[in-house]
Amino acid sequence: MISRVADHCFWFGRYVERAEATARMLAASVSLALDAELPSSQVWRPVIVVSGEEDEFLERFAEADENHAAWGDGEIVQRFMVWDEANGVSLARSVVGARWNARSIREVLSLEAWEAVNELHLWMRSDAATANFAQHRETFYQHVRRSTQLTLGLLRSTMLHDEPLDFMWLGVLLERVNQTARMLDVHHHAFTNLPRRRASDADEVIETALWLSLLRGLSGSEAYLKRAAGRVSSQGVARFLISEQAFPRSIAYCVKSAYDRLCDIRPPDHHELPGGGALERLRVLDVWVRAREAEPLSGAGVHDLLTHVVDEVHEICGTLGSELLGAGRVP
Amino acid sequence: MSQSQSQSQGPLAGLFDRYPQVALPGTYDEMFDADKARPPFARVAALLAKMSPDELARAQQLAETALLQQGVTFSVYGDARGTEKIFPFCLLPRLIAAADWSPLERGLQQRLRALSAFLDDIYGEQKILTAGVVPAEMILGAAGYRPMLRGIKPPGGVRIHISGVDLIRDGAGTWRVLEDNLRTPSGVSYVVENRLISKRLFPRVFDAARVHRVDHYPTRLAETLRSVSPVEQDCNAVVLTPGPHNSAYFEHSFLARTMGLELVQAPDLIVDGDKVFCRTTRGPKRVHVIYRRTDEAFLDPEVFRPDSLLGVPGLMRAYAAGNVALANAPGNGVADDKAVYPFVPDMIEFYLNEEPILEQVQTYVCLFDEDRGYVLEHLDEMVVKAVDEAGGYGMLMGPQASAAELAEFRARIIAEPRRYIAQHRIELSACPTWIAERATVEPRRVDLRPYILTSREGPWVLPGGLTRVALKEGSYVVNSSQGGGSKDTWVMKETG
Repeated sequence: MISRVADHCFWFGRYVERAEATARMLAASVSLALDAELPSSQVWRPVIVVSGEEDEFLERFAEADENHAAWGDGEIVQRFMVWDEANGVSLARSVVGARWNARSIREVLSLEAWEAVNELHLWMRSDAATANFAQHRETFYQHVRRSTQLTLGLLRSTMLHDEPLDFMWLGVLLERVNQTARMLDVHHHAFTNLPRRRASDADEVIETALWLSLLRGLSGSEAYLKRAAGRVSSQGVARFLISEQAFPRSIAYCVKSAYDRLCDIRPPDHHELPGGGALERLRVLDVWVRAREAEPLSGAGVHDLLTHVVDEVHEICGTLGSELLGAGRVP
Repeated sequence: MSQSQSQSQGPLAGLFDRYPQVALPGTYDEMFDADKARPPFARVAALLAKMSPDELARAQQLAETALLQQGVTFSVYGDARGTEKIFPFCLLPRLIAAADWSPLERGLQQRLRALSAFLDDIYGEQKILTAGVVPAEMILGAAGYRPMLRGIKPPGGVRIHISGVDLIRDGAGTWRVLEDNLRTPSGVSYVVENRLISKRLFPRVFDAARVHRVDHYPTRLAETLRSVSPVEQDCNAVVLTPGPHNSAYFEHSFLARTMGLELVQAPDLIVDGDKVFCRTTRGPKRVHVIYRRTDEAFLDPEVFRPDSLLGVPGLMRAYAAGNVALANAPGNGVADDKAVYPFVPDMIEFYLNEEPILEQVQTYVCLFDEDRGYVLEHLDEMVVKAVDEAGGYGMLMGPQASAAELAEFRARIIAEPRRYIAQHRIELSACPTWIAERATVEPRRVDLRPYILTSREGPWVLPGGLTRVALKEGSYVVNSSQGGGSKDTWVMKETG
């Protein structure tokens, strides 16, 4: 397929996944802020840190003040993460990005998948969406999540399962690795460093609430509880989100699936085809992530592990871009 | 008709209750003759009349929502937010009787055969100039004439693969050609999309009308493109678009999708050894036929615009070597120049030795002293057009123009006579049209753009076409850029 088209497919997948992840995370944070007896900055600050837009937020709302009220203001954070045009990863920007890429490959998408993403785009710009956001926050996030899920589902159920879909799914999976890794990293850090008065029942309740909220943000609370027989611990959750092969948002699952997709696009034994560098790097990452399953997870180890994953995914995306997606073209 | 004259059981009751008996003075109403529907349309008119304005308003709303959600839109130029609009659409179909259609079809085929012969001649021996049938200065001075293409034979021998010829009906109902579009005519996607809506919203009326289908256009277009491939087997045809910012992007994408072809942009293509390749995820892939929807000035910077970064360097070398077919062929602009148009009937006689089947509109060529004198004297009665503009731009509607506009055009004509032609204003025919603001049906002026595909075997006319309607009351300008909309065009089958 045409490299430029492959590029649009890849980014379409990433933006759809990113929009969904943003909606999930915000909905989970709203719920957490209501439940847990936590300082509100403990709930909302991680949302900004995970997004990677800390500097922009600092400059615009919080200045250099660690204890600035904006860090704990759910409304400011949510408006920034949903509507802000200057925030490169806001929901609005992700939906526009998904739709723009989709429109650029309109002839590649099935009509139904295109309609799903176009309707989400039109809805985001409508008065109905603004009103929904103002009055029924929960249903607003639900609408976005359902639309992106519908789009992803329609891709799989109405399109040819060949190269364009492989590139879209590769985008979805690599974006998902990033989202899971960053969310786990930020929350793991915050939760394991909670100021402890003393080891009390109250702390344990709060910690459990935090971990369950993180799992909900990744749609993984039910799956986790099934695996852990109801026991919630930081070790258990981190292990689950990193290594659980059967959970479709775990790092191990996403890296393995991304590798499988890339193998379909560029079979490992076809050395004459471009894409070999990205394929090899992704293979090595897959092996590395699986090898971590046998090792114990300590606090700092989790951070180092996740940092390595995020850095590698970044490198892999760069190599994909130059080898397959037409970036830095060789004539 | 007025309320008192309408009968509750009559064919014009209901939806057409308030429709005027004389649509517009001196104007041919296509559906009605005084208080009756024209005989071939009686059944359809009676069925449409049964619809209430409420039903129609609802249907119109549904249709517009569907178009927006499907992204059947055009981009508005100069809007930084990337606003897209739907092409306004009137649900009431424009009907064309079988008896009207067949001479049109033959006339269009004849016209395309003559125009093709003309282009072959102009980029070859130029016999028509030697014979003095058309003035050489007119042709060789046309902006669309590309002297560097002389002597190049297009692969498959076809130059006008896709054309759209604009037709109007005058006050007497006579069909006349208004202009030819032989470069990159647009609008055919709306023909197909509008039909989908009609079928969904009026299945019973549509069924009763016995209408020729139009949905096979993409299949015929794909066949046409394959027919001119420089290779026998495994022809790779692509659609070339300037990109999503182009106002007609929806159509480019629509055509690629419905033909199952790749939609490419110029940077996707490379030329190596006078062959064209596409950059793919598996390396370069040979391209044999390009349906290009880009302006020819941006095809190849080596040939047309050395200063331009747009286009595919070397494309014209590959074309000249016969390794890639371009649809349409570059250089066609010399044949659809508005100042060359008056000579098309002469071309038909010269190349085909036939009488022209289709009438034209009498045209004054400002380059000629006598014509220019007449135009300047009667400027306030004339429609003046720049020969190299389209879309309703660069145009003067004399009868509606202000004194300042008239003075400006007078000066322009005197300064650049080759750039202007003039015609008397034709009372374009009218069709019943749904006017949403007043929830009523009123007469509005229309034109018709049928699409003709020419393969190695010759021209084929899609039985249908884009009916454009001037939605503004009193307007004669049907272009979408000037407040025009479209209607589905129902070409009826022969009865019996």
